Amino acid sequence: MLSAQNISKNFITDNKVVPVLKNVSVDIHDGEFVSIVGRSGSGKTTLLNVLSTLVRPDGGELHYGTENLSALSEKRLNRLRQSDFSVIFQFHHLLPYLTVLENTLLPFMQSVRPVKKAAMEKALGCLERVGLADKADRLPGNLSGGEQQRVAIARALVKSSKVLFADEPTGSLDKGTGEKIMGLLSELNNDGLAVVMVTHDPVYAKMAGRSVHIEDGVIV
Amino acid sequence: MNILTIPMRNIRRKPSKTLLLLLVFSLGVMSIVALYEVSQVVGHSLEKKLTAFGANIIISPVSEKLSVSYGGLHMGDMLFDVHDLPEEETVAAIRSIALNDRLSAVAPNLVTMTRVNDTAVALVGVRWKDERGIKSYWAPKGTFPEKPDEVLVGSKAATKLQLKAGDRLSLLGRDFTVSGTLYDTGSDDDTVIFMNLSSLQELQGKPGATSFIEVAALCAGCPIEDIVAQLQEKLPGVEVKALQHVINQRMASIHFVQNLALTISVVILVTAAAMVGLSMMSAVSERKKDIGILRSLGYGKPQVFIIFCLEAGLIGMLSGVVGYLGGFGASFQVLEFLHMAEGGTPIFSSTHLLMAAGLFSLVTVLAAVYPAWKGAGVEPSAALVAL
Repeated sequence: MLSAQNISKNFITDNKVVPVLKNVSVDIHDGEFVSIVGRSGSGKTTLLNVLSTLVRPDGGELHYGTENLSALSEKRLNRLRQSDFSVIFQFHHLLPYLTVLENTLLPFMQSVRPVKKAAMEKALGCLERVGLADKADRLPGNLSGGEQQRVAIARALVKSSKVLFADEPTGSLDKGTGEKIMGLLSELNNDGLAVVMVTHDPVYAKMAGRSVHIEDGVIV
Repeated sequence: MNILTIPMRNIRRKPSKTLLLLLVFSLGVMSIVALYEVSQVVGHSLEKKLTAFGANIIISPVSEKLSVSYGGLHMGDMLFDVHDLPEEETVAAIRSIALNDRLSAVAPNLVTMTRVNDTAVALVGVRWKDERGIKSYWAPKGTFPEKPDEVLVGSKAATKLQLKAGDRLSLLGRDFTVSGTLYDTGSDDDTVIFMNLSSLQELQGKPGATSFIEVAALCAGCPIEDIVAQLQEKLPGVEVKALQHVINQRMASIHFVQNLALTISVVILVTAAAMVGLSMMSAVSERKKDIGILRSLGYGKPQVFIIFCLEAGLIGMLSGVVGYLGGFGASFQVLEFLHMAEGGTPIFSSTHLLMAAGLFSLVTVLAAVYPAWKGAGVEPSAALVAL
C-alpha cells in the first residue's frame, strides 16, 4: 500500500548538514497498525512526516499503490492529503476559533461552496463515534486534552481516509485518557483503517500489529 | 460553512485586536470620506463665488469681419450682417438646455454708441438683477439704478464726462439721472454707461433686442465643452464662445482644493493600508500553526492565500461601511466648524456607500497580498516546526 525505499532526509543546523534519515525502507500494508518507536531525536517523527507527505525526502522513493509520491506535484499531494491520508498530532491541533463541528468539517471547507448536508451528517456521525456529538457546538478551548484529540480523530475519520498517521497521539494525555484514545485507534484499525503511529510508550507500541524501531535515522 | 467561515471566525477570535484594526482603518476611511464630502461642498461653493466674477460663455450673433485697406490706407475692421439676438427666445433657449442646472446666471446686453457733451461713449443696456449676478464685484459711489431713467457710469467714463451720483445727463434724447458711478474694475466696464435694457431697447427702437448674452456656468460637474455644445444645438446660427482663460482660472482654484483633498486622502489611505499589511504580516507569523494544520488537511497554497486575503477584505469592507457613515456625519461638523455649512450639504448616496465598501476592501486585500503570499508559501514541513 505505502512503500518507502531508501529514504534519506537531512536538516541543516548551524550551517551543518545533519542526516536525520539514512536510507530508511519501510512498507505499510492495507489495514495494518504499525508503531514507530525510538528515542527522542532518532528520526521517528521525520519518518512519519515523510510517509504522510508533509515533508519531502532528499533521497529515495515513496510509493502509494502504483503512484510514485516522490515525483508528484504539490497539487496532487494536496489532493492525496485531502482524501487518503490523515494526520493527528501530539497536541491535537484544532483551530481554536472554530467549533468542534467546524474543525471536524475543515477538510470540506476548502472552497466557497457550502459544506453539503451529507458531509455535515457524516461529521456528526464521526463525532458520535468518538463520543463528542453533544459537544459539537463547543470551542476547543472548552474541551479536555483527550476530547480535543478525539475531535482530531473525528476529523481524520470524516474524510474516509485510508491511512491515519498519528504523531504521539497520547503524549500529552493522562494514562486513562491515553488508553481510551488507543482503544479508539485499535477500533478504527479493526474497521480497516491503516494506522501508522509514533510513540514513546512501549505498552502502546505493543498494541500495534508491528513495531518499527529507529535509531539515529536507521531502522534496526 | 465554507472557506469564508475560517477568516470570519478568526476575526471574532481576538475582538480587541480586530476592533483596534477596524477602528484605525475606519478612522482613515472616515477622514477620506469627510475630506471628499467637504471638498465637494467647498469646491461647489467656491465655484459659485467665483462665478460672481464674470461670465465664462458669450453668446453673440454670427457676423462676418473684413479688414479694409484701400490705396495703402488701412481703414480698420468692418462687420457685415450684424443682427441682434431676440432676448426672450434666446434666454428661453439657453435655459432649456439639459445642463440648465449648471447655469448660474444669464445676462442679456444691448450695446450702442452715443455722444455726451461731444464725447463718444458706449451705452450698455442690462437687466440689473442678472448683470449684478455675474458682476458681484461692482461697487458704486452712490446707489445702483432702481428706476428706468437712472444710469450707472463706469469710473473712467465718469471722470471723462465729469459725472457723479445725482447728476443729470441726456442720452439719445432722453434725460437720465446718474444713480452712481462705479469704482475702478480694471475692465471694459470702466469706460461705459449702463442703463436699463428695456429703456435702451425703446430708445433704439429695438424692442426685445440684445447684442450679446453673457452666461456664467458652473464647470466643476461637467466639462464646459458639453455646455457649449448643448447651447449650440439649441441656438443654431448663433456664436457660442467659451472664455477658456476665465474657465481655466476658476477650475484651477477648484481643482487645487480637490487635489489637496485627494493628496491627503492618498497619504491616509497608504498609511492605513500599510497598517493592515503589517497586521497581516504579524498574523501570518502568529498563525503558522494554523497554516500547518490546513496544509496537513490538503489545503493548497491558493486556499491559504485566499483565507488571509478574505480576512483583510472583510476588515476593509466593514471599515468602508463604518468609515463612510462616520465620514459622512463628520463632514457636516467640519463644514459647520469652517463656517461653510451654507455653501451646501453633503448628499448621502447608497451607491457611494457600496463603492466605499468595495474600494476599501480591495485596498486591504491589496495590502494583504504580500503577507498572504508569504503565508501561502510556508511549506507544511516549516509550519510543522511550529506544531
